[in-house]
Amino acid sequence: MSILYDEGQDAIATESRRVLEARVNKDELLPLLETTGEYHHGFWTTAKEQGWTALALPETYGGLALGLVELGLIAHQAGRSLSGAPFLTSSFGAAKAIELYGTDAQKGRWLPGLASGEIIGAVAFAHGADALPLHPPVAFDGARLDGTAIGVTGGLAADIAVVFAEHGGAPVLALAELGPVERVAVPSFDNSRCIADLHFAAAPAEALVAGNLARDAALHILALQAVITAHEQTGGAEALMEIARDYAVTRKAFGQPIGAFQSIKHRIAELYGLVELARANCIHAAAREGQDDFVTAAAAARLSATDAYDSAARDCVQIHGGIGVTWEIGLHLHMRRARSLAIEQGSSLFWEDVLVDRLSGEAA
Amino acid sequence: MSDLEAYRAKAAAWCEAMVPEFGKAARKGLSVEEDLALGRRYQKAKFDAGFAGINWPTDLGGQGLGHLEKITFEGEEMKHGFPNVYFGISLGMPVPVLMQFGSDREFVRERVLNALKGEEIWCQLFSEPSGGTDLAGLRTRAETDGNGWKINGQKVWTSWAQYSDYGVIVVRTDPTVPKHKGLTYFWVDMKAPGVTVRPIKLAGGDSHVNEVFFDDVKVSDDHRMSPVGGGFAVAIATLMIERYVATDSAGFGPHLDLFIELAKDVQLNGKPAIEDGRIRQQIARNYAMRAGLDSINRRARLMMQAGMTPGPEGSLNKLVAVRSRQKLSELALDLQGNAAFAFDEHASPKDDWASSWINAPTGRIAGGSDETLLNTIAERILGLPQDHRPDKGIPFNQIPA
Repeated sequence: MSILYDEGQDAIATESRRVLEARVNKDELLPLLETTGEYHHGFWTTAKEQGWTALALPETYGGLALGLVELGLIAHQAGRSLSGAPFLTSSFGAAKAIELYGTDAQKGRWLPGLASGEIIGAVAFAHGADALPLHPPVAFDGARLDGTAIGVTGGLAADIAVVFAEHGGAPVLALAELGPVERVAVPSFDNSRCIADLHFAAAPAEALVAGNLARDAALHILALQAVITAHEQTGGAEALMEIARDYAVTRKAFGQPIGAFQSIKHRIAELYGLVELARANCIHAAAREGQDDFVTAAAAARLSATDAYDSAARDCVQIHGGIGVTWEIGLHLHMRRARSLAIEQGSSLFWEDVLVDRLSGEAA
Repeated sequence: MSDLEAYRAKAAAWCEAMVPEFGKAARKGLSVEEDLALGRRYQKAKFDAGFAGINWPTDLGGQGLGHLEKITFEGEEMKHGFPNVYFGISLGMPVPVLMQFGSDREFVRERVLNALKGEEIWCQLFSEPSGGTDLAGLRTRAETDGNGWKINGQKVWTSWAQYSDYGVIVVRTDPTVPKHKGLTYFWVDMKAPGVTVRPIKLAGGDSHVNEVFFDDVKVSDDHRMSPVGGGFAVAIATLMIERYVATDSAGFGPHLDLFIELAKDVQLNGKPAIEDGRIRQQIARNYAMRAGLDSINRRARLMMQAGMTPGPEGSLNKLVAVRSRQKLSELALDLQGNAAFAFDEHASPKDDWASSWINAPTGRIAGGSDETLLNTIAERILGLPQDHRPDKGIPFNQIPA
């Protein structure tokens, strides 16, 4: 059942929006694009101060015991303001893997730090287009990891990573400290994502879950993250739709606001449709956590949110004309983010297959 | 179980019980006239069971319940393909407007009861050959005639006019003022002298819409349902009724499950089509879109239950759902290849891809075209400017033709 937000949830949305609008702006984000490995410290400090890092983790380990709905609301606002670091989602994924599949000792060791934000987590599952490869390029021997996990979001700054690896021909989710691991920065079109290739060479690691269950576990973690990312994408798309609208009512051509031309107004109305469909799917998916159809709902949210953000980025720039492609106006910050978020946690190609497998009864 | 769930269960049970007499199988092979007769019996059964006029006042024959009960019943009813289509417009708009604006209350009560029992049908005479979207640009005129009025002109796209007993009509009573200000709203007797109804055969082969001609049709002043010159406001009130009807994220075409079944059944390149990436992508995209609409609709219901006004995003359903139904229907025909040529013009658009495809354009035009809906979203929700309208503020008879 889709939900209506309650007063507390509405307050989370309002307050996080207020704080982020005050503390993150494009003039601080633009320089981050031209350096590799730097993120917006003001954003991450805010996330810690506000308790967003603790939001969806259990109380026993310093969390606030809220869930996807609340973290989704934060992510939506982070998407609107262009979050300055990827760790809300990456740490959340790592923390959920430990919470759901780890031992008490592992939970006790890592969750309090992840909840406070003092520890940053990353998730290293994908290889190329394959968000959950049949044969992951990292091997696990029961105690150590070997091999390279490429393009890990947050990998440059993370303290720990949950890695989808192979152990004797079967999949395993392994937890590794990144201190001793060689990390090579990936200069990216969206540099504040702190993307790194992780070169594991006999790196100590512990199994969280192994065997057939590991693939399902990894998909579940991806789905949880995908719902958060979908909220972030929807927030970004919503912001772009509003920017396009504001520009179309002020910019004039041929003696009238360009928003009076149907080619412009219909484009923006179509964006409204994409944003509302994505929002509706996000709210629904967040409310389905723990239900049988959660992965299906997550996939739908992910697909519609990616579509909304990519389309909004494309059309908002187009509606602006020449000014839209300048560095200074910063619309490219959203264009870049739309693409990095589209790829993190698996692209549409991956989620389309996940979804159709479920709809056609090919997946359990 | 909540009261509403109990109501749903009751509605579902009644609908199930009606299937043998009024369901799809019972309608198969009937002529339109036979199907209409069956429809009248169905509507009477609905009235007798207390499922007609669910949210209408009891003193007019309704049940005095809420909008939620009404859409709950409709959600159950639409699963079975009952012959209720003939009464959709009648009970959806003209009759509620009559209840609201009709001056002779005894006459109103009699008409409402007869309409609820399926004995009388009302139509809505708005669109004209010169325009449908531009409602206020209509040309059919009424001139004073003794104590009453005399109507001349032509309406078009009038659903079920050929079976209608009465209609509501907007006409121009003053061409010397700007177009919105010279309109007046009446009800008319469709059997009156001078009214000629001519069915229009549509592309899909059926003829539920009509041209209606008015030649010196006399109506007395007590047929008037608005102040003279105040007809546009009542016309808009008519169109605003039922903004939250039972919606269908399949765009009143086949359910996505039927597409998935088809994709499992047919082969592409020697493999089941469900394994083909192009087909999978369309299934996934359509599912995500429909799931979004379903979520919007469920939240609208929850908001109504909580006494709140649902958000404007409910207006997306028709735009998004019918458009995608059209494309998915094309793809479903592609999937069948030359096995798709066989065509049954009496098949239902709800479960037949060819019927869904050929009738889809109607869904994108009737009741607000895609373009009109986009304009409404842009202007009303997003605050974008109106289109350039050269006829604005100019007396109707001075607008360049």
